Amino acid sequence: MSAGLAGKLKHYRISQKEHDRACELLGREPRESLKGLEWALFSALWSEHCSYKSSKIHLRKFAKTMNSTVVNAAGENAGVVDLGQGERIVFKMESHNHPSFIEPYQGAATGVGGILRDIFTMGARPIGSANYLCFGEPQAERMPALVDGVVRGIAGYGNSVGVPTVTGQTNFDPSYNKNILVNAMSLGLLRPGEKVALSAAKGPGNHVVYVGAKTGKDGIHGASMASESFDENSEAKKPNVQIGDPYFEKLLIESCLEVLQKDLVVSIQDMGAAGLTSSSFEMASKGEVGMRLHLDRVPVRDSSIQPEEILLSESQERMLLICEPKKLATLQQHFSRWGLDAVAIGEVIAERRVELWWKGEKLTDIDPHILVEKAPVYERPYSLWKDKNRAATPDELKTEPGNMNAWILSVLADVHGTNRQDVYRQYDQRVGLRTVRGADHDVAVLRLPDSQRGLSMGVGCRTHVMKLDAKLGGYDSVLYPILQMSVKGFSPVAITDCLNFGNPEKPEIMSEFVAAVEAITEVSMATNAPVVSGNVSFYNETLGENIVSTPAIGVIGLRADIKNIPQDMFQKNNSIVFRLAETHVFGKSAFPTFAESQGEKALLFGEINVPALARWAAGLKELSLQSGVLATQMVSRGGLALSLAKMCTAGLGFRSEGKINFFEISQEFFYQAIIEVDEAQVETFQKRAKELQLKVTQIGRVQPGSLKIGEWVDLPVTQIQQQYGSGLRGKIESLA
Amino acid sequence: MSKIGVVRFPGSNCDEDVCNFVRAKGFTAEYLWHLDQFTIADYEGLILPGGFSYGDYLRSGALSARSPVMKSVREFVSRGGPVLGICNGFQILAEAHLLPGALVQNEKRRFIDDWVELEFLGKAKFWAAEHPNRMIRLPIAHGDGRFYADADSLKKIEDQGQVWLKYRGNPNGSLRDIAGVLNEQRNVAGLMPHPERAIFDWMGGVDGWSFL
Amino acid sequence: MKIGVKIMPREVILDTQGRAVEQTLRLNKLPVESCRVGRFVELDISGAENQALQQADQIAKTLLHNPLIETYEIKKL
Repeated sequence: MSAGLAGKLKHYRISQKEHDRACELLGREPRESLKGLEWALFSALWSEHCSYKSSKIHLRKFAKTMNSTVVNAAGENAGVVDLGQGERIVFKMESHNHPSFIEPYQGAATGVGGILRDIFTMGARPIGSANYLCFGEPQAERMPALVDGVVRGIAGYGNSVGVPTVTGQTNFDPSYNKNILVNAMSLGLLRPGEKVALSAAKGPGNHVVYVGAKTGKDGIHGASMASESFDENSEAKKPNVQIGDPYFEKLLIESCLEVLQKDLVVSIQDMGAAGLTSSSFEMASKGEVGMRLHLDRVPVRDSSIQPEEILLSESQERMLLICEPKKLATLQQHFSRWGLDAVAIGEVIAERRVELWWKGEKLTDIDPHILVEKAPVYERPYSLWKDKNRAATPDELKTEPGNMNAWILSVLADVHGTNRQDVYRQYDQRVGLRTVRGADHDVAVLRLPDSQRGLSMGVGCRTHVMKLDAKLGGYDSVLYPILQMSVKGFSPVAITDCLNFGNPEKPEIMSEFVAAVEAITEVSMATNAPVVSGNVSFYNETLGENIVSTPAIGVIGLRADIKNIPQDMFQKNNSIVFRLAETHVFGKSAFPTFAESQGEKALLFGEINVPALARWAAGLKELSLQSGVLATQMVSRGGLALSLAKMCTAGLGFRSEGKINFFEISQEFFYQAIIEVDEAQVETFQKRAKELQLKVTQIGRVQPGSLKIGEWVDLPVTQIQQQYGSGLRGKIESLA
Repeated sequence: MSKIGVVRFPGSNCDEDVCNFVRAKGFTAEYLWHLDQFTIADYEGLILPGGFSYGDYLRSGALSARSPVMKSVREFVSRGGPVLGICNGFQILAEAHLLPGALVQNEKRRFIDDWVELEFLGKAKFWAAEHPNRMIRLPIAHGDGRFYADADSLKKIEDQGQVWLKYRGNPNGSLRDIAGVLNEQRNVAGLMPHPERAIFDWMGGVDGWSFL
Repeated sequence: MKIGVKIMPREVILDTQGRAVEQTLRLNKLPVESCRVGRFVELDISGAENQALQQADQIAKTLLHNPLIETYEIKKL
C-alpha cells in the first residue's frame, strides 16, 4: 500500500476493507482508489455515527416492539406515536458526549439544538426536553468545570429556544472521569389536523432548498481530544468547535413549522451530523431519486471555504428541504420574514445519482444508495449473556446491622442522593403553559392542550445496576421509569433509547450491548411500549478504559387527565403507608447502599420476571388512580429506609408498625413501591388492591416530627430536610 | 378592553402563552410583528411578552428596543395607551426608556426558575388594577432580572409611587427588591415575573389571572 | 498599571452576538459591513511593566479566555 493511500485512510478514518468495498460498489478496478470528494463522502456517511455499522444488526430487534400506535416509522428520524383524538407525538434522545468533553457549554448546547431539529423536522412543535447526564467523580480533573459548563449549556440553549426542560437524571461514577455522557431528549406534539412531515426527496424538477444559518468551517478537523493539549500558537491544530445559536434555532422552528403548515414543503430533513452530506444523500436515497447540487450556491460565512469543507461542515441551525418550483417564491418570503436564508441550491432529478457541482464543474456523481443503504454492516463478536455478580443463596445478601441513621444522613447529602435543585433551577420549566409538574418531581407531567390528558416524561438507566449486571441494568433502564410513572397513574406509551457504550470491537463490551438491546426489547414488548427512535454512541473509551455500559432510556406515558396525581412525599398526618412488592431479584447492591458502605461486596440473587413485572406495573397504575392515594414512590437505590427518608423531605415523618428486620429495609428489591393512603379511604383502597390482585402490606403511618423505623432508624425530619437540602453545590462548588 | 396587540420580536418565546392568556380572558389577541408599524387606534392595549428576543445578545432587550415597531409603541404610550412588559418585555421597555431603570444579570450569575412571593406597592392604570390580593405568588424564569437604577432615579421612582411590585425574598439582587415598575403616567407597567404562567390551578397558582 | 485584555471569538468560530447586532444595524439602515462582538477586561497590576504584562498574559491565557473558541490581545492602557 502506498504511503499516500495509508495517509488518506487514516485522515478520513476509513479502513482498508471499507475502502475496497467502496471501490467495488463504485465499479472501480481494485488498483484504483477513491477520488476527490468521494473520500469525504465515505468518511462521513460510513462513520459509526452516521451508518450505525456496529449496531444495526442488533437494533433491528427493536422492530419487534412496534404496535399499531406507531405511524410513519419506516426510515424516518423518529416514529410518530398516535395517542388517539388526533394527537400525535414524536420524541428522541441523542448523545453529544465527545464534544461536551472538549467544550462543555457548546457541546451540551449543540446537543440540545440537534435533538430539537430532529423533532421539528417531522412537523412537530417541541414541547418538552429532558437530559441524561453522567459525570465522573467531583474531584476528577476538570470535572467541576464540566458539570457547570454542561448545565449552563443546556440551560442557555433550552431556555432561549423556549422549550421547557422538565426532567432529567444526573449520575456520578468514576468510570465517566474521562468520558462524560450528555444525552439530550426532546418531545414534540402534532395537534389534531397538523400534518407529519417526511424526509424522502420527491419530484424530479423540484428545488432542493438550503435553509437557515450560513455554512462555516464548524466541526472540520474536529478530531482532537484533550483541550489541555492546545498550544496557543497553533491555530491550525484547534478543533473548530461548533457554536450553537438558540436564537437562530427559534427562528428556524417558527419558520419551518409555518411553511410546513402552509403546505409549501414536499419533504424536509435537518442537517445534523455530517451536515449537508447526510441530509442530501439520505433524502435522495430514501426517495429513490437523485439530486443535482451546486455547492457554490450554498450561503457561506467564510469565502475561503472549499467544496469538501462545505460538505462536511457541521454548522448548526440548518435544514434542507424540497419545494415545488411554483411554491419557491412564497416559501422564500416566509423565511425572509424570519430573517433566514432560503436558497435553492439544486434540484431533484429522476435518476438515482447525486451530482455535486462547483462553479460549473461536476466534482462527483454517485448513487446515494452506495453511501446510505450499502454502508457496511458489521457483526462484531460477542458472547451470550451470563448473569453476573450472583449470590448462590439469598443468605449471602444479608448484612450485619449498623448505624443506619448516620448512613441515611450522609447519602442524602452526597452526589448520588442529594436534591438536584442546583441543576434544574437553571432550566425554564414553564414556558409553553403545558407544564403541570417539572423537574422538582420524580415524574414530569405535561398537559395536552386539546384533550387535556396528561403526558409524563422520564429517563432511565441506573449506573449502580449496570455496574453489577449489564443485562439486569438493561431491563431496569426501561422498567424503573415505567414503574415510576405507573405509580402516578400513567400507562407507558413508547420509549426511545440512547445507547452509550465503550469500544464495540471488544467482545465483552459488545456482549453487554447485545444483552442490553435484548433486555430493552423484552420489556418494551411486555409493556406494549414500542421503541420508536434511538441513537448509539460507541467508543466511549479513553486510553483503553471504557465507561460503564449506559443504555439511557426515555419514556413517555399517558394519563386520562391531570387530576389528583399522587405526590412524591408524605402529605397528611396519620395517613397509612403501604408497601407493595413484586420482587424477583434481590440486591445487596452497589454503592452507595448500606452494604457497600460497610465494605461488603455488592451481590444479586434471583431472575428477573418481565411478564410478571409488566402485569404488576399495569396493576399499580390502576391502584394509583384510586381516590385517597396521596403520595407514591418506587423504592430506589439504597432500599426502603432511604426511600422512606426521602418521602419525609416535605416536612412530615413516618413511624413503622410491627416487626421490621434490617434485611428488609437495607436491601434493594427489584421492585418495591410505597403508597400513602388517606386514613379515611383505606378500606376502599384495600378493596381495590384485592380486585387488582395486588398484595399490599401496611408498614406504618405518617406522623409529624421524625422518621422511626423499628429499632434501626430514628431521625428528626428537620435533619433529613437539612441534609437533602444541601444539594449538589455542597459537593461541587462550581454549581454554587 | 377587548383587543390586545402582542408585540412579537424574533426570539420572543412567551408570545403564544400571552395570546392564550388573553384569549382565556375573553379578549382578542393579535400579533404585531417587530418589522411593521401598526395602527394605534386598532388596539386597546399592548403586551410585550417574555422570551429571548435576539437571543438576549449585546444586552437583553437592547436590539428589540431598536426595532421598527417601537415607533408605533412609543406613539401608543404617548397617547396614554396601556402597555405591559413581561420579563423580556420589561427589559425592552427599559432599554427603550419607556420605563425607568435597567435589568442586569442576576446577582448569582445564574438563570433562576422558581416561584416567588410579591407585594403590590403601586397601582397601574389598567394592569392588575382590580387584583383582589396584595400579596401574590408568581413564577420567575430569568437570567437578567436584577433591577438597577442610580440613587436619584430610585428615589424618584419610590417617591412618585412608580414601584409596582416588590419581591418578598429577593431572588436576584434587584435594588430595593423591585420586581416591577410603572411609568410616571402609570399606563406603562413592567415586571420580571410571569403572570401568564399562573392562571389555572393546575399550573400551581392563579395570581396571574387578575393581571388582565 | 492598567492593562487591557481584548477577547474576541476566533475568526473561524460562529459569532452569534456579532451576527445579531449586524442584523439590527442593517435594519436601521446603517452602512456596517460586519460586526464582531467580544469583551474587554481591564486589569490593574502592580509591579514593573514587563512583569505586569507577563502576569496579565498569564491571567488571560489561563482564565480570561477560552482558547478553543477565543483569541486575546494584551495592551498597556
